[in-house]
Amino acid sequence: MANIACFVERYNFTDQREEKALQNFKRAAEQMGHNFGFMYRENISDIPKYDAVFIRATTDPLFTSYIVSKTADELGLKVIDDPESIQICGNKIHQYALFKKHDIPHIPTIFVNKTDIHRKRLMGIFQELGKPVVIKAPYTSFSRYVEKAACETSFREVAKRFFRKSDILAVQAFMPTAYDWRVGVLDGKVLYVCKYMIPKGRWKHGAKLRGKPTFIWGRTVSMKRENAPATLKELALKACNMIGHGLYGVDIKEANGKYVVVEVNDNPSIYAGYEDLRDKDLYGKIIEYLTD
Amino acid sequence: MEPETFLQSTIKDTIINISHDYRYMKTGYYVSMHAEILGDAVIPSSKNIIEANRTPILLLKASKAGIPTLPYLVTSSVKQIMSELTFPLVTFAVNPFSYDGYRIATNRSSLYRAVKSLSMNYKFAVCAQPMKGEMISIKSIFGKCEAPAVKRVSEKVYEVFKIPLCKLHVQSVGNEILLCGLQPLKKEEVLPEDLRNISEKISELSKTGGILIG
Repeated sequence: MANIACFVERYNFTDQREEKALQNFKRAAEQMGHNFGFMYRENISDIPKYDAVFIRATTDPLFTSYIVSKTADELGLKVIDDPESIQICGNKIHQYALFKKHDIPHIPTIFVNKTDIHRKRLMGIFQELGKPVVIKAPYTSFSRYVEKAACETSFREVAKRFFRKSDILAVQAFMPTAYDWRVGVLDGKVLYVCKYMIPKGRWKHGAKLRGKPTFIWGRTVSMKRENAPATLKELALKACNMIGHGLYGVDIKEANGKYVVVEVNDNPSIYAGYEDLRDKDLYGKIIEYLTD
Repeated sequence: MEPETFLQSTIKDTIINISHDYRYMKTGYYVSMHAEILGDAVIPSSKNIIEANRTPILLLKASKAGIPTLPYLVTSSVKQIMSELTFPLVTFAVNPFSYDGYRIATNRSSLYRAVKSLSMNYKFAVCAQPMKGEMISIKSIFGKCEAPAVKRVSEKVYEVFKIPLCKLHVQSVGNEILLCGLQPLKKEEVLPEDLRNISEKISELSKTGGILIG
């Protein structure tokens, strides 16, 4: 019997589907004979009392979740997400540099720093990647901090905002598709596969309504992992192997019959009735990994 | 070599990354990251940069390495801090935005003010430590510092985290020096004599080969 701590923040319980998924994890752990408790920021000092830590709060090397991950790792506990995965997945510059090094097919990407923001260089970028381009802050998550720019003025405006936190940004070719594949991977094996549909008239799975703070999300269409294309799954596993052996959600675009990786996310979303719809065993598999 | 030039290069060598500011996502961080992607040995590593700048991880790893530290608490709850630690206290930010300084709280209201400010209205956690003595902030250059009392801790911190330039926050309690935090230096804090010390260390290191970025 193992004691599993699930590190969460209050916002993890604001969406009913996420709350239900968290309860599903708890039920799966208890059915397997383990204790599963929710750990909040105030209980971080209790980490040594547990055997494994499962992080569901948003991860980033600058967030409390990284402190939790690193503390658990230093104490020799099994942890999802591990600090190395947070470091690589939490910074898209790091990730794309690794994609280039390991020849992982990905969206054409250029890195820019503040000295690149001049007319000649920007024209060169538009020439190389076409118009519009997608500017991505390294700390992007949940479709935020990813914006399109079709001219020098909007490029400068977006870059100026994103440079406040990072000295390097990623600029990518714009590849509109009806959906992005999401392949859930755990310990080098495919856990679930689904399609994140892009809302009509938008270009990202999550899009902000003009002038409003609310986000609208596209539908999630699930399929049995066995039924997903083999080449898709191979590419997802190849991208994850370059990072580690934890839990990842790989976003892949399909264009002209070819697959290209958009990004690999640690701490992938798991909402009841969405990612788990066709592969209900994902809860048990994650608990099994944590207690192995 | 200038950092921007190095970031465009594919140099294979040992890299010494000199920057007054090694914060995550700043140029100093990306230089180390780029060197690691190229497969180069680099001082400091990107992992050490992240860990040294996150106070709870710094303290955890430092105490494992035998560097004297104080007990600490990571939370955004004032109640919890008051129930587990006694005044006076020193609090450090654990958020993505604050990287400079600390706040001392001597009573309940000053603790509320400190936590509210450092946690950005309770959105993030803070790292609270008891204050047993006098706080000292000192520059550390390749583990060397001006205060003889802090010398041993400064050297040990460099040995563990390999951060060439940083500011150490320590507490002097009787004869003991206890590590409390590590933060980046401001550009204006790097004085001409510091540059001389850096050059000396660099020439010493470059005898064994390597490229200097900074």
